[in-house]
Amino acid sequence: MAMGLTRLVAIAFALLLVSILPLHVSLAGEITSIESVPDLQKLMYVAVDGYPCVRLLNLSGEIGCSNPGLNKVVAPIIKLKDIKDSDQQHTILVTADEMEDFFTRVSSDVSFASKIGGVLVESGSSFQHKLTGFSPDKKFPQAQFSPYENVDYKWNSAASSIMWKNYNFPVYLLSESGISAVQEILSKKKMKHETYTTDVAEFNMVMETTKAGTHNSEACLQEGTCLPLGGYSVWSSLPPISVSSSNKRKPIVLTVASMDSASFFRDKSFGADSPISGLVALLGAVDALSRVDGFDNLKKQLVFLVLTGETWGYLGSRRFLHELDLHSDAVAGLTDTSIETVLELGSVGKGLSGGVNTFFAHKTRVSSVTNMTVDALKIAQDSLASMKIKILSADSANPGIPPSSLMAFMKKNPQTSAVVLEDFDTKFVNKFYHSHLDDLSNINSSSVVAAASVVARTLYILASDNKDTSNSALGSIHVNASFVEELLTCLLACEPGLSCNLVKDYISPTNTCPGNYAGVILGEPSSKPYLGYVGDVSRFLWNFLADKTSVQKGNTTSVCSKGVCSKSDEVCIKAESNKEGACVVSTTRYVPAYSTRLKYNDGAWTILPQNSSDSMGMVDPVWTESNWDTIRVRVYTVQHSAYDNAVLVAGITVTTLAYIGIMATKSLITKALKQD
Amino acid sequence: MTVAAGIGYALVALGPSLSLFVSVISRKPFLILTVLSSTLLWLVSLIILSGLWRPFLPLKANVWWPYALLVVTSVCFQEGLRFLFWKVYKRLEDVLDSFADRISRPRLFLTDKLQIALDYSSQLHAAGGLGHGVAHAVFFCLSLLTPAFGPATFYVERCSKVPFFLISAIIGLAFVTIHTFSMVIAFEGYAKGNRVDQVIVPVIHLAAGMLTLVNFASEGCVIGVPLLYLVASLTLVHCGKMVWQRLLETRNQSSASG
Repeated sequence: MAMGLTRLVAIAFALLLVSILPLHVSLAGEITSIESVPDLQKLMYVAVDGYPCVRLLNLSGEIGCSNPGLNKVVAPIIKLKDIKDSDQQHTILVTADEMEDFFTRVSSDVSFASKIGGVLVESGSSFQHKLTGFSPDKKFPQAQFSPYENVDYKWNSAASSIMWKNYNFPVYLLSESGISAVQEILSKKKMKHETYTTDVAEFNMVMETTKAGTHNSEACLQEGTCLPLGGYSVWSSLPPISVSSSNKRKPIVLTVASMDSASFFRDKSFGADSPISGLVALLGAVDALSRVDGFDNLKKQLVFLVLTGETWGYLGSRRFLHELDLHSDAVAGLTDTSIETVLELGSVGKGLSGGVNTFFAHKTRVSSVTNMTVDALKIAQDSLASMKIKILSADSANPGIPPSSLMAFMKKNPQTSAVVLEDFDTKFVNKFYHSHLDDLSNINSSSVVAAASVVARTLYILASDNKDTSNSALGSIHVNASFVEELLTCLLACEPGLSCNLVKDYISPTNTCPGNYAGVILGEPSSKPYLGYVGDVSRFLWNFLADKTSVQKGNTTSVCSKGVCSKSDEVCIKAESNKEGACVVSTTRYVPAYSTRLKYNDGAWTILPQNSSDSMGMVDPVWTESNWDTIRVRVYTVQHSAYDNAVLVAGITVTTLAYIGIMATKSLITKALKQD
Repeated sequence: MTVAAGIGYALVALGPSLSLFVSVISRKPFLILTVLSSTLLWLVSLIILSGLWRPFLPLKANVWWPYALLVVTSVCFQEGLRFLFWKVYKRLEDVLDSFADRISRPRLFLTDKLQIALDYSSQLHAAGGLGHGVAHAVFFCLSLLTPAFGPATFYVERCSKVPFFLISAIIGLAFVTIHTFSMVIAFEGYAKGNRVDQVIVPVIHLAAGMLTLVNFASEGCVIGVPLLYLVASLTLVHCGKMVWQRLLETRNQSSASG
């Protein structure tokens, strides 16, 4: 007995020593501490951050991407170059430079497309310098709205048209953190057993139109599984128009820009050059002109119009022109006077080359008005000698104006005399037109400042009908370059994004990252919409323009707490960020932007029949976007089912063996006890 | 890892306990009560321990001695509790014995009495130990098993050959074995006043606890887990030897008297 004790104690202590000794050396490296079951789940199922491609519908069918059915798509991850022939569907990891060829191949090769379960796109900075150009849009974007015959002209040389095709699998653009999460899981695999685990991606991107089986705009609007694209355009006049006054109205000089862009991925479409550079130039010009006195004495009225929905069938311009015809509240003050001149600011972010900012003036047609506009541009250019700006007329060999809102204006009224200012002549210089790569690094802020300066002075010249360049008022019009640069970082970057001070001064943004995609129009369209349904950028523009074009009546500004001002010509601005806004005299209005083929009635949208008087409505695809529940992508490791079954068998075996052992012991003891 | 694997892991950790419950414990209501109260007691002890250690958590992940301290204090607390449990059990046994004697006045032969005593006490002690083991397995293994029923699996870097859930279930099984048989050894030791048996149980418990620290080392589970099973088999063998000796004693006594 004593021997047994000593032996046992000795063994136990030996084990103790053995257990402690190795620990002196081995605790290197970080342990991610798991403190609870939810922590464990987060480590097992890695959520991947990124931007989806969603399902869009038109009158004849669908484009974009979605889960093919009602279920999540779970498929093993494989790099595009590692694809071999196999029956199983995979998640293909595609890099940005492979994207164009990949999607072109998918559309043409059905057997290749059937092998695709889902696509993850990696667009890190390491791939971007490999790309000389990438545009998922068409060679002549929105050619069906062109007012001239030559619809085969190639405006967009980097075009691949891939965003207009229909894909039956989910596609997801990985953000920087998403890329590192996926790389981490794939690198761990090298440590582990390739034989019985696989890394899979799980896509939860089920679109409601797929669930309901509604595959075009008409069906889905009827079922309520989609919403039409659109939003709210904003216009403002400088100086404010007095609606009630009986004074003779002045002719209008209308300056137009657009605020919406698009790309293959819904939430990553900054549209830096096309069209936000034009928008920022317009705002810079408004800011400069707001510091000039004496607008009341000028011969013409300036009106600034920022349109949305232009990418999806010129929804903003068409609806604006329609509202003018209807003499509605949204355009009160504009209808009983003529719009004499229109100047559009297109892409102006890439004008800088060789130290000179060059812009091209494209005329809708040759007329005295367009000549006057171009002359004014040239006078403004000369007055800004230090900025090295060159304004040139577009090549007369061009078939007409480039794709721009003026195409819609021309289609409505072929006699429109208008000029669009662009940074290109015969074809786009923006090699990333309508792609997720048209971001801040694609434009030059000095080009935007130059465009803003020349436009500000041009507008003053046009409004005053004065060709005298030595006019001291002209020389005093200066665009604030730091304002323009700050605004560019607010509208074209996620840091600071819409949380920048400039924007927060006017509104409380709902998102930090500006998504310059038009989005869907929520609720009933009206000129006084519920502000919760109006997008951040539209609300910012409304408040900004109202502030800059306002005049102070007397020295007192009254406060408004519920967005209502006592006087009829006053509006309540900055009512979101401060609890109380300020009442200012300004003419600034929202104009809903949606297809002229749609009508809102009792909470539902209906499509109106084709009307021959609405030529643009006849070719309008009537774009809608599917509703969805959630969009989520996760990546995790999965065991092969053989292994799972082996574990179950092992568990059952252990249980059975234990049972047999216990029964054997019991009978042994009973037999031993009964032996006497 | 799907439902099949989840059930598999649960069976690996608690399958033998289930077998023991079905074959032995479920036949006698008093044993079921013992298992349940024992499980409750040990779960409460673990909760108290977590409460006591809460202000010091989370422990720094790259030094091992706070974990060693945690293991040592927990083992000491639980062994102290085991001794307390014994005292309470002894009181209860005396009360129940005298009550039974007064009521039933069994006319048993000494052999039967001794056989009942052997059967009865081993089974009772095993039931107590089983409760302890099940509490450990539930607290340390089963509570983490819910994610195993989903599609994904998980590998820990420091033990990358085997999925986390499998290692957890295997370690759980080892501890169930150790706790079940330790209780039999310990109570026998307290009853007979046998120093060896009294000391060996805390030593085994401490050794098993410290062996889990070996898993901190990179790929340490390859050494740690087999060693843990060595300890478990030692416990099993010692308990077997002890029961066999008692069996022989009982037989000798009964043949001597009968």
